[in-house]
Amino acid sequence: MSRFVDPLVVGRVIGEVVDLFVPSVAMAVSYGAKDVSNGCHVKPSMAADQPLVRISGRRNDLYTLLMTDPDAPSPSDPTMREYLHWIVMNIPGGTDATKGDVVVPYMGPQPPVGIHRYVLVLFEQKSRLVDGYASPPADRPYFNTRAFASNHELGLPVAVVYFNSQREPSGNRRRR
Amino acid sequence: MAAFASTSPSPAISASTWRMESLRAALPALRTSPSAAIGAGLRPRKQAVRLGASASPFLRSSFVSTSSASSSASPSSISSAVSASLAFSYTSSFSVESSFEHRLFGTDVHGRILAMRHGKRIPRLGRPADQRKALLRGLTTQLLKHGRIKTTKPRAKAMRKWVDKMITLAKDGSLHKRRQALGYIYEKHIVHALFAEVPDRYGERPGGYTRIIPTFPRRGDNAPMAYIELV
Repeated sequence: MSRFVDPLVVGRVIGEVVDLFVPSVAMAVSYGAKDVSNGCHVKPSMAADQPLVRISGRRNDLYTLLMTDPDAPSPSDPTMREYLHWIVMNIPGGTDATKGDVVVPYMGPQPPVGIHRYVLVLFEQKSRLVDGYASPPADRPYFNTRAFASNHELGLPVAVVYFNSQREPSGNRRRR
Repeated sequence: MAAFASTSPSPAISASTWRMESLRAALPALRTSPSAAIGAGLRPRKQAVRLGASASPFLRSSFVSTSSASSSASPSSISSAVSASLAFSYTSSFSVESSFEHRLFGTDVHGRILAMRHGKRIPRLGRPADQRKALLRGLTTQLLKHGRIKTTKPRAKAMRKWVDKMITLAKDGSLHKRRQALGYIYEKHIVHALFAEVPDRYGERPGGYTRIIPTFPRRGDNAPMAYIELV
């Protein structure tokens, strides 16, 4: 119990979304005033707008950020794994995600059933990807992060963070 | 006899009652719970197995009790105990019953008196047995419905056994097992969905169908929370 287990391993992000990697870039994600840490809980209403994603790294390097939901439509029945929420490419190092090219526009979390994990993965690009526009993923569901990374030769990720989100109870009905 | 010397009985109690009670006092007995009056709505029937209901005021004062049971609720427990003894004339022998407060001692399988909880692995979850069962039934139903729920860590740890039991029933798949599962899970469509998908999903996995991930404590009472999810 005293051994530290990576929260990404405990939350099964490594294994279901990405492979084991060595984080080399610092990434800070925040929705408004709330900073996102691994496994924290964010309400869908707070995450409706795209977050502020600040990354470190050298200015010459370009990074790709994507956000998926591996628990779509339900954690007990993830038939639509994964559901794509956001792709931004060509982010210069040391800046934030607004400086990159948006390939797939941001969609906020809308978990229908259960508590979903939302994973933000950062890759380092080898070169400027101009053809990101030419081949955006066709659909949001049935996305595969590993396949996307191998298609665009992104390799292993350099930073991953995930948070949980749950459908907010609608209305004010008092269950008794 | 010294037990009664320190009591303060009402003057109306006759000497004949005392002799009966002294017999009962000789047997090891339980204190009547003071919360019986408070939580009487929960388990009115349980008071039937109180031993020597009317003897309880005397017994209580004879034991060195740390809780405030001896001071509080004695008039109300006498009335409830008298009614209980009238309703159920058989006062069976001492029995371990679940109650909210710390009992003075419990008994093991052989009838020996134990003051400690050594080796007892059932989580009581701060509830009597019927509520505990209902809580666990509800939690397993919700976990099988949603796939991942957030609850307190002791509840998540207590749930594991029942979730694994339900999945094992589904792995067997026969009609008898299906009916046993229907008797436990609150919603029947969940049982049917479970029996349909478990062979594919957990066919090769030998047990351990859940995973518990601790998370931040709850703000209101700093209770340690955890996610429990189906593997």
